[in-house]
Amino acid sequence: MKRSIVRRLFQIISLIIGVIVMNFTLIQMAPGSLLDIMTSEQQVTDPATLQHLKQLYGLDQPAIVQLLRYTWSVFSFDLGYSYRQNAPVFDIIIAQLPSTLLLMLTSLGVAVTLGMIAGVIASVKVNTAWDVVISLAAVFFFAAPTFWLGIMLIIFFAVHLDWLPVGGMTTIGGQFGPAGHVLDVIRHLILPALSLGLFYAAIYTRVMRASMLEVFSLDFVRTARAKGLSKTRVILAHVFRNALLPVVTLFGLQLGTVLGGSVVIEAVFSWPGIGSLMLDSVMSRNYPVVLGVFVLSAVVVAVANLLVDLAYYRLDPRIRSR
Amino acid sequence: MTSHINRRVFLGTSALAAIAAGTSLGFPSALAQGTPKKGGVLIATWGGFEPQAVFVPGGGGSSPLISSTKILEPLLRQDSQAGFLPVLATEVKPSADFKSYDIVLRKGVTWHDGKPFTADDVVFSIEKYWLQTIAKAALKNLSGAEVTEGGVRVSFKEPTPEFFFKSVLATSLVIPKHVYDGSEIVTNPANNAPIGTGPFKFKQWVRGSHIEYAANHKYWDAGKPYLNGLVMRYWRDAASRTAALEADELQLGIFNPIPTPDIDRLSKSGKFVASTDGYLGAAWASTIEFNSRRDVVKDPAVRRALLTAIDRATISDVVYFGRAKPGTSFVSSTNPKFYNPNLPRYEFDAKKAAKMLDDAGYPKKGKSRFKVHLLAAGWFEENGKVGQFVKQNLEDIGVEVTLTVPDRATSLKQIYGDYDYDIALSNYAARVELVPQQTDYLSTSGIVKGAAFRNATGYSNPEVDDIVAKMSVESDEAKRKDLAFKLQEIAARDLPITVLVELIPTTMMSKKVKGVGNRADISADSLSDAWLDV
Repeated sequence: MKRSIVRRLFQIISLIIGVIVMNFTLIQMAPGSLLDIMTSEQQVTDPATLQHLKQLYGLDQPAIVQLLRYTWSVFSFDLGYSYRQNAPVFDIIIAQLPSTLLLMLTSLGVAVTLGMIAGVIASVKVNTAWDVVISLAAVFFFAAPTFWLGIMLIIFFAVHLDWLPVGGMTTIGGQFGPAGHVLDVIRHLILPALSLGLFYAAIYTRVMRASMLEVFSLDFVRTARAKGLSKTRVILAHVFRNALLPVVTLFGLQLGTVLGGSVVIEAVFSWPGIGSLMLDSVMSRNYPVVLGVFVLSAVVVAVANLLVDLAYYRLDPRIRSR
Repeated sequence: MTSHINRRVFLGTSALAAIAAGTSLGFPSALAQGTPKKGGVLIATWGGFEPQAVFVPGGGGSSPLISSTKILEPLLRQDSQAGFLPVLATEVKPSADFKSYDIVLRKGVTWHDGKPFTADDVVFSIEKYWLQTIAKAALKNLSGAEVTEGGVRVSFKEPTPEFFFKSVLATSLVIPKHVYDGSEIVTNPANNAPIGTGPFKFKQWVRGSHIEYAANHKYWDAGKPYLNGLVMRYWRDAASRTAALEADELQLGIFNPIPTPDIDRLSKSGKFVASTDGYLGAAWASTIEFNSRRDVVKDPAVRRALLTAIDRATISDVVYFGRAKPGTSFVSSTNPKFYNPNLPRYEFDAKKAAKMLDDAGYPKKGKSRFKVHLLAAGWFEENGKVGQFVKQNLEDIGVEVTLTVPDRATSLKQIYGDYDYDIALSNYAARVELVPQQTDYLSTSGIVKGAAFRNATGYSNPEVDDIVAKMSVESDEAKRKDLAFKLQEIAARDLPITVLVELIPTTMMSKKVKGVGNRADISADSLSDAWLDV
């Protein structure tokens, strides 16, 4: 197990290098540069000033030098400076990454919980009205665009019922104390986490249902039943646990995609995450921030997948023995 | 409008008078109704994204203009009648030869950190900030700024028109010397938490969400601001802004904050007001530019024919839902000082346009006359749609069109860096004063490769250059107007660039928001007069 963690660390390092090289190349290939954007915004036309800015941004050097310098600085834990935001890249990202992670983990939590419960019910009550309703709901939430769902939830719960806030992460100017603050964030989190979570819940429902049905048909389940175990015990101890592996795999894979999916939800709910930061930075060719976001997200996803692998060990002893 | 470009920015802010009656869509211009009430926190937003920094010294576009002007102030401001009102300066007096100006400064003003505001701050701002960054072109004749008894004297090598100079003063922010002296202004950390003289103090910026302002209780304009605080919130999604207005989590949205169809729906509910007041200082237009370096479109006769082929009324109605109107000059029709209404109009007439092309020597050979590359710049979503209409119109008269809609960075590079287009569909936001910003689109000196939002068409005409040179030093207002009229005649004849449609930006606000009218540019307004009627 120790060896595999060390192996994983090496994989993470090479992953980060890969992320840097690939994204740096892609940004270099896109027409227009940060200099174009900044000078157009600031109406700079004086050749001397242009040259000064070019030097300030480090754009006067060949691309390969910029890349090597950047890679070196990342591994010395420095993500560079963003002239557009007038602040160190790390500060900018770290101000917004936690809220994205919170949203991401909550919505995945919602998705896994709802999805597993719905999937188990659908598989146990297969081909009944329960199954039909759950499957239909799954198809609906899978097909409905998340931004549309988000706006519908806002209109219903925030505008008409006035139960929940329209957007943001906290009540601005609110003074609640620590416990009140947590409650306040939870209130703001409900709608965005639901909008994002329901989409993924749909996927988990389908996977869980299929996986459960498959395990139900296996011999050891028949044995368990023959032993006279209660129905609940068969479902929970035998089928559920064995049906869980595909869901855990999916969970690991989705940590990456949820980060992308949250861009839309952050826009709809004005959630202060890194989604819009990333979008703006790509549009303005602000490569230190783009790369910084990707590097940090890569680390998050890699660590999450490492945890998923550890979960595998717990769930399935056969993997441990390999 | 989801993006924002930054033409106004070289002067930091833009200002000028609104002909409220002319542009207002049924909104009474008397906004100071009732007695202002104190208290409350106003939550405001605009139709674009959060700024890159709270204050961007170089300008940085509409978003930092909105966020910084609550804290930092100019010397003058302009109202919707084209008049200049005092802010940090109480008086600006030209000398008899218009070669120097005496600026009398307001007394008893302090910066938010408690230090007194002095003439040194103004001289520092002019020399180290305006001259280096935002007003380099506008102040190129400046010979010096010195502290005098009552304020500051600014001297010029050439006569400098009063309206022109006051426009510069009304759109350039004064920054504190003690904070910025000796540092790189562009990267000073204070730009993320500015210290100013304005009615609101910077309190907190939650990146990705909002900027919080607290009332400045030591504001020089005693009794103001009326609000206890101000919050600028940022939603990326326009439909969410509508929902926030309806849920009363947002009270003021400037510059097209919500989807156009929602404007009428909310106005009809009786709880909201839609206003078009306050955009004269940033008269937004969608423009069409013809590349003079390209074979076919370098011929003015062809340009006139192509413009005649474009159905601008339909574009205004369909793409902009009626919140735009066909342009008639290179200068906005809302410009109270310089707009020339008696120019040749290129009314939509496809048959006439076809005939004009025949006459210009481009008859149909087979199916088409010639090919053009039409570039719709990607700063606004609408431009792509306008591009589709223009493409269709031109193809109807036998012009083959390749339409591209590149993203913002690519558009900048293709139009202003590589000059790689035949016809460009772009935008500008113009102030009332034409020099130097708008004249840079026409003059030879405006051709600077790689510099955005100026002469990219390569149009060069000695007559135009002469008029622009005269406008820069002519102190007689009537003569300046004549020059501006002549300039528009030439522009309408040669058509290097012209306004395709004039946009009508809209402010959407809750009925309880008062005191935000009578401004030339609502984006740059400090909101010191705003109050909540609750």
